[in-house]
Amino acid sequence: MVKITIDGKTIEVERGTTILNVARELGIEIPTLCDHPELTPYGGCRLCLVEIEGFRTLQPSCTLPASNDMVVHTNTEKVRDARKFILSMIFSERNHFCPYCQVSGGDCDLQNAAYAEGMTHWPIMPNWKPYPVDGSHPFIVLEHNRCILCRQCIRACNELVGNFTLSFEERGADSNLVADLGIPLGESSCVGCGTCIQVCPTGSLIDRWSAYQGKETEVEKTNTICHGCSIGCGINILTRDNRLVRIEGDWDAKINGGVLCDVGRFHPMVEQRERLLTPMVRTNGQLKPTSWDDAISAAAEKIKNSRGNLFGVASTRLSMEALNEFKSICDAYDAKSIASTEEFPAVSAPFKVAEAYGKAFESKMDEIKDADCYLLIGEDTTKDHQVVSFFAKRQIPFGAKLVQISEISTGLDNFSDESLLIEKDMQSKFIDALENLLRKKSDKVEEIAKLYKLNTLQIENVVHILSSAKKVVIIFGSRYDFNNSFEVLSSLVSLNEQLKGKLITTKGNINSTGASLIGISETVENVDSEIAILAIGDEKLSQNFSKKFKKGISSIIFSSYISPLTANSDIVFPVQNWLEENGSFINSDGHILKSKAALEAPEGVFSNEESLSKLAKVLNVDKHDRWKDYLKKTPAPVVINKYRSK
Amino acid sequence: MAKPTVASDWLAGCAGCHMSFLDIDERIVKLIELVDLRATPITDLKEPDEEGVTVGILEGGINNTYNEFVAKQMRARSKILVALGDCAVFGGVPAMRNFFTLEDALKRAYVETPSTDESGKIPSDPELTKPTIVRAVHEVVKVDLFVPGCPPDADIIFYALSELAQGRMPKLENEKLMWN
Repeated sequence: MVKITIDGKTIEVERGTTILNVARELGIEIPTLCDHPELTPYGGCRLCLVEIEGFRTLQPSCTLPASNDMVVHTNTEKVRDARKFILSMIFSERNHFCPYCQVSGGDCDLQNAAYAEGMTHWPIMPNWKPYPVDGSHPFIVLEHNRCILCRQCIRACNELVGNFTLSFEERGADSNLVADLGIPLGESSCVGCGTCIQVCPTGSLIDRWSAYQGKETEVEKTNTICHGCSIGCGINILTRDNRLVRIEGDWDAKINGGVLCDVGRFHPMVEQRERLLTPMVRTNGQLKPTSWDDAISAAAEKIKNSRGNLFGVASTRLSMEALNEFKSICDAYDAKSIASTEEFPAVSAPFKVAEAYGKAFESKMDEIKDADCYLLIGEDTTKDHQVVSFFAKRQIPFGAKLVQISEISTGLDNFSDESLLIEKDMQSKFIDALENLLRKKSDKVEEIAKLYKLNTLQIENVVHILSSAKKVVIIFGSRYDFNNSFEVLSSLVSLNEQLKGKLITTKGNINSTGASLIGISETVENVDSEIAILAIGDEKLSQNFSKKFKKGISSIIFSSYISPLTANSDIVFPVQNWLEENGSFINSDGHILKSKAALEAPEGVFSNEESLSKLAKVLNVDKHDRWKDYLKKTPAPVVINKYRSK
Repeated sequence: MAKPTVASDWLAGCAGCHMSFLDIDERIVKLIELVDLRATPITDLKEPDEEGVTVGILEGGINNTYNEFVAKQMRARSKILVALGDCAVFGGVPAMRNFFTLEDALKRAYVETPSTDESGKIPSDPELTKPTIVRAVHEVVKVDLFVPGCPPDADIIFYALSELAQGRMPKLENEKLMWN
């Protein structure tokens, strides 16, 4: 501990704490432009200079650790003059003319800092050098003229996302932000996660949708979870006049700590499917709009007449509450089968293994964040469940090793120490062979190499990496079909025990785990019941999925959007999408997450839960127990719990 | 004691700051009680009195030799010179042309516009003022008070003028700076 005095206030802090952080602890404000709590201090903008007794020059408080008996002044004339001078230099370096900038008026750290210093103008003539604007990326616009070279985006790209796309070229005033080796951002290795936009203090990195749509003070913020995949990242949804403006990662969210992928941040912005707005019933071969009451009684009639011949399909994007309603209806009318919309049985293997074990065998996602070796298998985590790959990739500079077992080449090839191409039906046997090598039960490296068409050096290297790692995390993906996922996962469980590692499975959708716990886990094979009831919510289903329904099946569908599936149904109910509903979800690492509505639904469109309960009421279905009771009935692959409140 | 005198003029701007000045509405009557409003571009008298004024106000940046002349004359004839609005404070919208060469900007304006036929040429009469790089007023003459904003809010203009009229230097700080 060291004792330090700032502006007359004395405090004891941990050795190594920066003066800036001590000041924050004391409630003393020091302006900064390049500092971010989630990023390593850089000391680039110099705005945080402070005067320290005994020091010849002003010192940057963001990089200088506090030392014993230091006496710091943050608001002397010398400091204030330096700040004004620094701001003048930054303003005059590029095109920082506020009236034409989209972040002007409260969202710009540079402008706010100048206001705070009471600057009415800057005395230095600007450097009239034009810089290019890079609009090549589908989501991100890179406006070099507004860049203040603070490197927050570069540090975010490296330290939080582990993608290492952004960096600088040249020096001094010629320094320029570049993607890869100076190619347009849209052609670079950028994964479009948008974390750089979220940290940019000026209008240099902006997204196409929220630009000029509303300032921070003009939008409403809803803190909720992303429904893009099973991770359930914490997000803030920014809306204005019931319109989606922007989605930001929640820095305080325990699961993702602020980072998001393009699926969470940008894909909801480009949603173009047409909404269903009224219930419809097929009469004389045509779907005709009708009232809720009529549609509900028509649906109830159909279900009553086909007791025991009902096929239920529910989306794993629905909340626990909605799934519970759905299951209650299906059970009350003796449904032949209740399946999920998932085409890959992403959660079936983990649940089967859990059943065999009788207890949870998976670890929580947090384990990924501090491991030094990753074995990734079964999906390209640069495409699905991307945030998982961010957690692993960002450990690479700290010496973490990545080993990948995959059928095809993936986006992680460039990051992997070893990438082993092995066909899916041989992966289980290979993992067993690998385990035997690690256990030193076998030393037939050459034989294995030959069998799996690999190089002996590759296998030796993988054995070396796995055996010398301090903490191995095995990440099992979701891209398997029924035949091999259980075998592969069983082999991995055994390998994991040998390595004393942590095993994580990524599963599928936001509520895949919850759906399995409630008993909705089968995949849809050929449907040959008389009548199908589908609660697909806002899910986008492939044509392949629609083909599984034989012609002549009468179907009742609850859907947010118009699709070939709704066009072929006999009774159609409009439902709210994920932005409009409240609900509970269980993510891939077993956390019970609450989702909050950010937008108001169109009139006459109810939540999935409410719509299904309207039907249940007319059918006289008593709702099952509370959904939470299911959690104790089925052994889950991972411990189910809640996050402690913040 | 005689009332303080005020004169204003506009340079490379859009007249918007003067319009914002008019937005002080009926408060202009109060202001007239305090000051003697002399030459402005929107009244009959166009040039500041030779014997000088207390407060001279300039809107717009300086983008040619005539603007330079007007700015220097206003400086010479006023005790306190106010740069009103973003163009006067740092160049504003007109200064965007500084990111191109002057030749390119003139060519764009006089030759390349869609409505110009093949006879279009850059005017070069020696009697014409010479275009220059666009500068903030303080790049050419000393400025005593900067009132930023695009345009500055009418309330801020009224505050600044009424303070000056009563012999005080206005303090533009905090929310008074935030014209958005």
